[in-house]
Amino acid sequence: MGVGRRAFVYLLTFWVILTLNFLLPRLLPGDPLAALLDPSSSDYVYDPEVRAALAAYYGLDRPLPEQYGRYLLGALTGDLGRSIRLNRPVAELVVGRLPWTLLLVGTALLFSSALALLTGTESAWRRGSWADRGLVSASILLANVPVYFVGMMLLLLFGARLRWLPLAGGRTPFARYPSALAAALDIGRHLILPALTLTLAMLGAKFLLVRNATVNILGEDFMLVARAKGLPEGRLKWGHALRNALLPFVAHLAAHAGMAVTGAVFIETLFSYPGMGRLIFESVTARDYPVIQGAFLVVSAVVLTANFLADLISLRLDPRLREGGAVG
Amino acid sequence: MRRLGGEVWFGLILLALCSAVAVLAPVLAPYDPRAFSGQPLERPSRAHPLGTNDVGQDILSELIYGARVSLTVALAAGAGTVLLGLLVGGMAGYAGGWLDQALMRLVDGMLSLPRLPLLILFATFLGSGLPQTIAVISFLFWPTTARVVRAQVQSVRQRGYVRMARQFGASHLYVFLRHILPAIGPLIAYGLVTSAGQAVAMEAGLAFLGLGDPLVQSWGLMMRFALNLPGLFLTDRWLWWLLPPALCITLLILALALIGIGLERNLNPRLARRWR
Amino acid sequence: MMLMVQDLRVTFLLDGKTGLRAVDGVSFDLAPGTSLGIVGETGAGKTTIARALLGLHPSGCVQGSIRLDGRELVGLSEEAWRAIRWRRIALVPQSVGTALDPVYRVGDQIAEPLRYHLGLSPAEAWGRSLELARRVGLEPRHLRAYPHQLSGGEKQRALLAMALSCAPDVLVLDEPTSGQDMLSRARLLDLLDALRREGGMGLLVISHDLAAVARLTERVAVLYAGQLVEVGPTAEVFQDPRHPYTWGLLHAYSDMSAARDLRGIRGAPPDPANPPPGCRFHPRCTQAIDRCRREEPPLRDIGGRWIACHLGGLQTLLRAEGLRKTFSVDGGEPEERVEAVREATLDIREGEVVALVGETGSGKTTLGQMLVGLLPPDGGRVVLEGRELTAARGKERRAMMSRIQLIPQDPFDAVSPRLTVAEMVREPLDIQGIGTPEEREAKVRQALRTVGLPASPDFLARRAHELSGGQLQRVVLARALVLEPKLIVADEPVSMLDPSEQARVINLLKEIQTERGLALLLISHDLALVRKIADRILVMHRGQIVEEGPGNRIVTRPEHEHTRMLLEAAPRLG
Ligand code: SF4
Repeated sequence: MGVGRRAFVYLLTFWVILTLNFLLPRLLPGDPLAALLDPSSSDYVYDPEVRAALAAYYGLDRPLPEQYGRYLLGALTGDLGRSIRLNRPVAELVVGRLPWTLLLVGTALLFSSALALLTGTESAWRRGSWADRGLVSASILLANVPVYFVGMMLLLLFGARLRWLPLAGGRTPFARYPSALAAALDIGRHLILPALTLTLAMLGAKFLLVRNATVNILGEDFMLVARAKGLPEGRLKWGHALRNALLPFVAHLAAHAGMAVTGAVFIETLFSYPGMGRLIFESVTARDYPVIQGAFLVVSAVVLTANFLADLISLRLDPRLREGGAVG
Repeated sequence: MRRLGGEVWFGLILLALCSAVAVLAPVLAPYDPRAFSGQPLERPSRAHPLGTNDVGQDILSELIYGARVSLTVALAAGAGTVLLGLLVGGMAGYAGGWLDQALMRLVDGMLSLPRLPLLILFATFLGSGLPQTIAVISFLFWPTTARVVRAQVQSVRQRGYVRMARQFGASHLYVFLRHILPAIGPLIAYGLVTSAGQAVAMEAGLAFLGLGDPLVQSWGLMMRFALNLPGLFLTDRWLWWLLPPALCITLLILALALIGIGLERNLNPRLARRWR
Repeated sequence: MMLMVQDLRVTFLLDGKTGLRAVDGVSFDLAPGTSLGIVGETGAGKTTIARALLGLHPSGCVQGSIRLDGRELVGLSEEAWRAIRWRRIALVPQSVGTALDPVYRVGDQIAEPLRYHLGLSPAEAWGRSLELARRVGLEPRHLRAYPHQLSGGEKQRALLAMALSCAPDVLVLDEPTSGQDMLSRARLLDLLDALRREGGMGLLVISHDLAAVARLTERVAVLYAGQLVEVGPTAEVFQDPRHPYTWGLLHAYSDMSAARDLRGIRGAPPDPANPPPGCRFHPRCTQAIDRCRREEPPLRDIGGRWIACHLGGLQTLLRAEGLRKTFSVDGGEPEERVEAVREATLDIREGEVVALVGETGSGKTTLGQMLVGLLPPDGGRVVLEGRELTAARGKERRAMMSRIQLIPQDPFDAVSPRLTVAEMVREPLDIQGIGTPEEREAKVRQALRTVGLPASPDFLARRAHELSGGQLQRVVLARALVLEPKLIVADEPVSMLDPSEQARVINLLKEIQTERGLALLLISHDLALVRKIADRILVMHRGQIVEEGPGNRIVTRPEHEHTRMLLEAAPRLG
């Protein structure tokens, strides 16, 4: 599949998501949106200014096609509605929160990937050894324990018991930093626990993936030939085995991005980290529909973009996926 | 059936234990979990082995009854997921052609979405009753099963005996029931166990996020209330309030995962050698 | 001597306990500029040897000695092996399709060893790869391609260029021709042959492609179930195989020029985890003796050929020297005598199918009757399994004669019309006094089943006139088999039968010959018929053997004029 076609498939998927996001609250029984404007309902929005904004955004008194058109137009121009709880545009909230999540997920993806690639290859290289068996068992455990459980344990251990690291938040509240370095350090300190949790949560599955893929690759004929060529061990392990294991690894990156988002929602909730997950959690508690929907759209867009990027990397890594057949 | 590994036995025993607790809950639990049987926030005592929660309900009783919720979700959502996956995957694999193409694109699309936010969106608008939760989980998790089932159905369909049966004039239904279903039987068991595990994790997660059924005292909800208590971690209260439900969920998920690994090994002997 | 392999043994562990000895005590050597072939069936251990030479087996699996210029390689560390691999010993692997790393360009993979072993810069290495590519007939664009973009033949060449990159002292080719179509195979062989002629390198060709080995090697070693059974100069071994297995292998090989049907070796190669005791070939060998089941035969030098066989190789079963027979016409004058057979000399080896071809009156039937001892020769002698039949008397002679059985031309003439089928087949046993009545009964039934006849009471009670010609000929064959002979002499066994019966009886004869490991002398006037099954053909004319040779040679390139005449006379359609 060419790059263009892949991009098209992702755009199509995003359109389905947009539509789903539009239809879901409108078609479901109970009419949750109407309840916001209905004085007799428990969800009634008392603030008249917010109520007016909501009525304008959802436009429930207009015909459905017109609502859909306005909604699409709004989504594409960055108008995601207004938060009931905070009385601020959803887009503004998202812009404030997204970097934190990207920082958290990015750090965790980076560390878990690097660690999984290194240990997975090493473990496969020494398959059957005690170290390998131990790592495999630990990874099976890690891959199946719920992320919030891991988070709680870490929180208890490092935050509450040892008091080494801050318990909550993305940075020290109301702090004024003398320098950019101090700011970075403070943010880094707050990042450690959540990022560690997310890294651990993803490490198990990633390790197993790399390790099993590499074990398969080590049985390939070209590995035997590479050994017969008298290449140094490092070249065999990293240049040939790992290089080939990268292909299935990247192919699974997309699935891992989704996993990371799931993890982030729990972890941010647990650590009161000011990212998108925390935003979703707060909005769910307050039944702040526009924010939930907006956050969902943005997260979906980010994950789909990550999928697309992973596809592009696959294309670069595997010559067999590229265009062009025989040279003869 | 090949020899079962130690970890599979561990999983089966844990699952059996959990089921026993769920079935015998009325006998085992010292109190009605909803009754306000003590003062709020009591420490563990003879009367309340795990203390009481913030409204004075017995935590041990809550924990025991919580097993029922988790197992119900595991069974129902697991079955729902597998049923949907079987339906779609079986159809795609058996029919082939454009239908297969279309269904598989749908599967690909669904697999590339972030599941939890989608789940939250559905739960928000569908309401947070237990039946809704089960339905939503089933609806979001079937694609994985569908993909595996499709691959297997496709390979069975190519077999000589299936084509011969068609040659003898067998109906599609006959072929499906007589040849294809038995071939994917082990897959169904595997799919059931793995999706049950995911369902338990997701249900607890939703409850933890405040999207659980407030009327059903599940382990996830217990965690949420515990975490809602300001300064929970500053005392050792988490030890008997937060840790037990978290541990229970983790063990149940782990049990299902271990059984799944054992089943997978039976499905795929090549893999088994790799795990050793 | 450059490469010396002594008593190489490779053992793999199955499920941690039982050992599988894939290679068991193999020794050979390879001098610079010479070439050696190792042939054998799949599973004989050929690839295991190739990998052992590069130290690719897990440490501890390999025992014995591999010396390169006197330096012991077995037991070297992985690090030390690394210096040997490719620089001293290089390999062209068997699995061409999957032997190249899919993610790197072919040229980079050829250049890789140059960079790591010779320390060349990327640019220098690439330049050298271009040279190497040219040498094996690849173009620069092939080097820039990825493996999946090359055809099988191109990949094979790329692997060859890769193996040559560090100018190794020993080049191991593992099944170089497998999976190649006929045309690229031919071109590859030309290329390899040219490389060999350039000299310098020791070339080890491991293959089941006998023609490739014949083309590329000076010496050949035959591997059976992990052991060498015959070693010698390639041309001689292929021309005149001495070990029973080599002989069978060569006869099983499909050769473009073979006019004969393919002939297998009876049975199947042994399970390597559990080889038979004694000589590993004994369950399939037609000449196995008791000792073969107990003792392993060592590889010994027998007249310039190394052979592992207790009997020193393929045995001559029957040998006739200077046989003469003269008949006087109706008791007339001595001048009117007819010299039916003049100085006929021939031998038949174990398990061999020999055809004796000639016109009516060429003396072939007379010769056949002298061979089986029915007719005393006027001169010369017949030696059966080392003992002279013509000199034997009494009981010894009777015992020897039971080792050879004759199937005569006319089955109706060969059986008594008064006997039942059961009695006919049992007759030789009665005569030789073998076994109890029940045992004889059982042997009769078994012989009848072997020739495809029912052993029902009804059939057993029939008499000759109640049978068809084909059935009767089978009964005669069954009668010949009950004594478990080593040689069957069949004199025009099918000439009285209709064509479809002919084919069936000939096929049956061939099948029984292979399964029981018998030798067969087929006397016939019909070259077209015998060339389907004969390993060797003798042509007889006016009492003399005028030409002798391998079946396909006689048929394709006859030398004697009379043979040519016979060939032309052979029936042809259209
Ligand atoms: S004669 Fe004996 S030793 Fe020789 S090949 Fe046959 S079985 Fe082996």
